[in-house]
Amino acid sequence: MRIMVAVKRVVDPNVKVRLLADGSGIDLTGLKMTMNPFDEIAVEEAVRLRELAIASEVLVVSIGPDKATETLRTALAMGADRGLLIKTDAPIEPLSVAKLLRAAAIEEKPDLILLGKQAIDDDCNQTGQMLAAQLGWAQGTFASNLAVEGDAVTVTREVDGGSQTVRLVLPAVITVDLRLNEPRYASLPNIMKAKKKPIAERQPADYGIVVEQRLEIVRLEEPAGRLAGIKVGSATELVERLRSEAGVLS
Amino acid sequence: MIYADDGSLSQEQRLMRDSCRAFVDDAVTPFIRSNWQREWDMSPGERLPRSILEGAETIGVRTLGVPEAHGGVDLEHDTEVRTFALISEEIARGDSGLADKLVQNWKVSILLREFAPKHLQDKWFPRLLADPQFLLAHCLTEPRGASDRWLPYNVPEAAMHTKAVLKDGHWVINGRKQFISNGFDASLYVVYANTDTSVGMLQGTSSFLVPRDTPGLTVTKCNETMGCRFMNNGELVFEDCRVPADHLLVQNTALGSAGKYFRAGKIIQAAKNLGVGVACFERTADYVQNYVQGGRILIKHQAVALRLADMATRIEAVRSLIERASRAVDEGHPDMDALCNMAKVYASEEIMKVATHALELHGGNGAMLEFGIEKLFRDAAIFLHMDATVDVSRMKIIKTMFPATAGKYAGPEN
Repeated sequence: MRIMVAVKRVVDPNVKVRLLADGSGIDLTGLKMTMNPFDEIAVEEAVRLRELAIASEVLVVSIGPDKATETLRTALAMGADRGLLIKTDAPIEPLSVAKLLRAAAIEEKPDLILLGKQAIDDDCNQTGQMLAAQLGWAQGTFASNLAVEGDAVTVTREVDGGSQTVRLVLPAVITVDLRLNEPRYASLPNIMKAKKKPIAERQPADYGIVVEQRLEIVRLEEPAGRLAGIKVGSATELVERLRSEAGVLS
Repeated sequence: MIYADDGSLSQEQRLMRDSCRAFVDDAVTPFIRSNWQREWDMSPGERLPRSILEGAETIGVRTLGVPEAHGGVDLEHDTEVRTFALISEEIARGDSGLADKLVQNWKVSILLREFAPKHLQDKWFPRLLADPQFLLAHCLTEPRGASDRWLPYNVPEAAMHTKAVLKDGHWVINGRKQFISNGFDASLYVVYANTDTSVGMLQGTSSFLVPRDTPGLTVTKCNETMGCRFMNNGELVFEDCRVPADHLLVQNTALGSAGKYFRAGKIIQAAKNLGVGVACFERTADYVQNYVQGGRILIKHQAVALRLADMATRIEAVRSLIERASRAVDEGHPDMDALCNMAKVYASEEIMKVATHALELHGGNGAMLEFGIEKLFRDAAIFLHMDATVDVSRMKIIKTMFPATAGKYAGPEN
């Protein structure tokens, strides 16, 4: 079985972001970037299947600028076999990503595509679903467990208030949730070894795809600042304010 | 600010730095913050839980310096020292004792790969790789002489007291070593001993590979230190300790042959020291932006802000010198000997000032064991004396710059 994993380069979740002055986006100047944490989980799962000899090859794909090779390199250091960078400097939306991944999938013929359930920068949670629809493949979203059995894969999905187990016939697209696994670190020796693993490069035009911008960000706003605390005179007043103002007691 | 500029690093260096930082943030810092008593456990072997070194294994940081042919990793040769600096800084940001534990392994692995016969490399590298608790140590210091030996005393009177004599196909070692990093815990030692009493240290010192279980070698005690307490210094006694003739690594010129590694060692010292400074800054910057005094968070008090600025400035200055010195060593620049000592000595004094600010800005909390700031202060203080004192380092700088005139030996006492 061959696995393709899509990875996105995003702002490090531990970094505090600032808005551009005109509110049109995030100021990315000098910000530390990293692999989308949900995609890390997808890479980890693929590498584990590879180590169990269930998968024969793990291909990682990223769409973005040159610097996205660093994200691919991280995935290669975690244990993926080879990388593919679909290079574009343009802002890119889930539908375009899905189209490009579909084109890559047609060329690479994986049996299984793994993606994070969403990217932590725009929180769209659309790409996996769109990709499955475009390929006409089965899809299992929000996977917290998966087991490959022959030509099928059983996926436990995290749904509101519980879990749902579905069985997909391969080929399939699976988007992964937080509890699926705990990703390994890219070890120092493996980072050096990953230097020798191949990363192919394509342009969207190579697939006959024009990256379109269909959405316009009207405005981004920071969350409201925290209000200053107050001192209360007595426990009675505290309970009263918790009930009447904070709404945490009924 | 205060961190290495990403643009100055290669892709691999950035990825390595990120892995080290993730490991430190996930495993090391939480342990250090919630287990301050462990430093004072008087069973040295129990201080650092085994799980920390096992965790270090997941990023493969214990076995740098082991050649790829033996299952290790070959770093890019022309930026190796810079990479060592970057990694040791990151680990020391979590705990400088842990960083020291690990870097001893790198340094001794380099000696093994350069000087040990192949069959001994085939024997020891696999053991080193297989056991996360396997540590290496490098035994130079003796009760009567350490870094002061590097002063202009290359005369027989200043030679090492530990001696090795070849007898019946074995080297027989007698003497005592102390303050040996990892000395209490290591499984394999590189030991320096005098093999020619008629000449100075640079011409008459040899190095030997000595496994811990060699009869005649006794680890007599842990040298307890004020800081870096998760690395156990040790004292070793050699009494007719016999190793086979092939365990000789370098005969007579061992100290000169190890020069390559000594320079990297100075840079690594400075880089670990910088990691302690970065931890001081991070803790303090967080504290002064949250702790309220007089109705305002501390940083709004201008005197506090000025101290924080001073911390950041000193950290940046130390970082710049380390970067320049590590590049010089990587490139084999003629000034590298002076620069690596400058980086080491400058880092030790500047980061001590950074740690002093950290202590001050934390007020009473700074002095409390459970708060962890005094630990950073103690850890910073160690660097003034580890791997040469401040004054010895300065003498070496001047000796390098003015070899014909500076620091002439005055001769033995009458």
